[in-house]
Amino acid sequence: MRWILALMLALFVGTGALYGLTDGFTVVTAESARRQAVARQPRLLHDAQLINANEGTSSLRRELQADGRVAIVNFFYTRCISLCLAQGSVTQRVQDAIAAAGLQSQVRLLSISFDPRDRESDLSRYASSMRANPAIWRFGSFEPSPQRDALLRQFGITVIPAPLGDYEHNAALHVVTPDGRLVGIVDLDEPGRALALARTLAASGGASLASQASSWPKSRDGAAAGQDGRKLAETSADRKQDPS
Amino acid sequence: MIPQRPSLGFSMLAVACLVAALGAYRPLTALMSLHMLVQIPLLVLAGVFAERAAWHRHEMSIHKIPSLTRNRWSYNEYGVPGLLLASLVGAAWMIPKALDDALTDWRIAVFKYVGLPIVGWVLGTSARRAPMVIKLFFLGNFCWMSAIVGLLYLEQPVRLCNAYLLGDQDWAGRGLIVLAVLLPLVCLFRKPAWS
Repeated sequence: MRWILALMLALFVGTGALYGLTDGFTVVTAESARRQAVARQPRLLHDAQLINANEGTSSLRRELQADGRVAIVNFFYTRCISLCLAQGSVTQRVQDAIAAAGLQSQVRLLSISFDPRDRESDLSRYASSMRANPAIWRFGSFEPSPQRDALLRQFGITVIPAPLGDYEHNAALHVVTPDGRLVGIVDLDEPGRALALARTLAASGGASLASQASSWPKSRDGAAAGQDGRKLAETSADRKQDPS
Repeated sequence: MIPQRPSLGFSMLAVACLVAALGAYRPLTALMSLHMLVQIPLLVLAGVFAERAAWHRHEMSIHKIPSLTRNRWSYNEYGVPGLLLASLVGAAWMIPKALDDALTDWRIAVFKYVGLPIVGWVLGTSARRAPMVIKLFFLGNFCWMSAIVGLLYLEQPVRLCNAYLLGDQDWAGRGLIVLAVLLPLVCLFRKPAWS
C-alpha cells in the first residue's frame, strides 16, 4: 500500500507545480499573470531617466510627481508599424474621451519609448502624427541603463529584438499614480476600464490605493466607468476584429 | 557505447545531454521552439539515461543487496505514481507562462534545471516497472495533450509568451504536433526494449 502514498505524493507535487505556475489555476500566460499580480498588489515603481519630447531630461518619478495627475502609461517605439499603431489609436480615443469629459485636470496620458534610437525630435514628430494634445498626452523615452531595465521588468514589459530593426513587445494601459505606484494594467481592448480606474484614483487623491485597486470596476459596464468609459468600450469593439 | 559496460555508455549520454542543455542554454532559450522541443527534452533525457546507467550498474550487483531492491520499488508499483508525476510535470511545461518564467524567475529555473532531470529519472524507472497497458495509457495521454497544445499554439493570433516571437510560437506548435506523432513511433520500434 506504500505505492498509494507515493501516488498521493506524485499527485500533490504535480498538481502543486501546476498550481504554482498558473497562480492558482487562474492564468496561463505571463501577460495575464502580471496584470493580475498588479491588481492584487500595487507596485511602487523604481525610477529611471526619461527624455521628454520638449523639456529635456527628467526622471519618471520626478515627472509623475511634478505633474500631479494620475497617468495612463503605455510603452512603444516610434518606428513600430504594428502593435504601437493599434495602441496609438486606442490612446488617441482615450485622449478624446478625457477631453470630452473634461478630465484633463485629473488624468493624463504618457507614452514612453523603450527604443534607444528615439530622441526628442523623434518623439515630437510622433506626437504630432498622433495629433497629441500636449496638455493631455506627453511622450518620453528611456535612456538605456540598468535602471530602465529594472523599471521595465517591474512594469512587466518584455522587449525582444525582431528582424529588420523592429521590436516585439507586449502592450497594455498602465495606470500610475503621481506618487509612483502602478495600480492597474488594463488590456488595450478595454480603455474604458483604464480611464475609470484613473478617474477613481484621481477623485480620491491617490490615498489608500490598495483598497481602490480591489474595488475598481470589474467589467467595462461597471457603474464607475461612466458615460465616457462606455463610449470607449463601444469604439474598442471594432478594434477587436483587427488581426493585429 | 561499449557493449560490456552499458552503464558507462548511458552515463556518458546523460552527461552529454546535460552539458548540451546547460552549455548552450542561451541559444536554446532564444527560440520558443528550441526551448520547448530541444532544451527541455534534453534535460529529461539526461535523467532517463542517468537512470539507465544506474540500473545497469545495479543489475551487475543485484545479488549483493536483493532486499534493498524489493523495498525500494514497492513505492512505485507498476510505475503508476512515477508516470503520473511525469505527465503532470509534462503538462506544466506546456503552459506558456512556464517558458516565460523560466527565463525571469529563478525558482522556475530551478524547477526546470533540477526538476526535469529528476522527472526523467522517475520516468525511466517507472516505465521499466509499468506493464504495457499502463505505459500505453500515459503515452497516449501525453501525445494527445502535446498535439492539442500544439494546435492551440498554431491557432493563436496573439503571442502567448512575452519573451518569444509569434512566428516562433507557430514553430513550437508544429513541433509539438510532430512530437505527438513521432513519440509513439519511436516507442513502437523500440518495443522489444520496453515490453
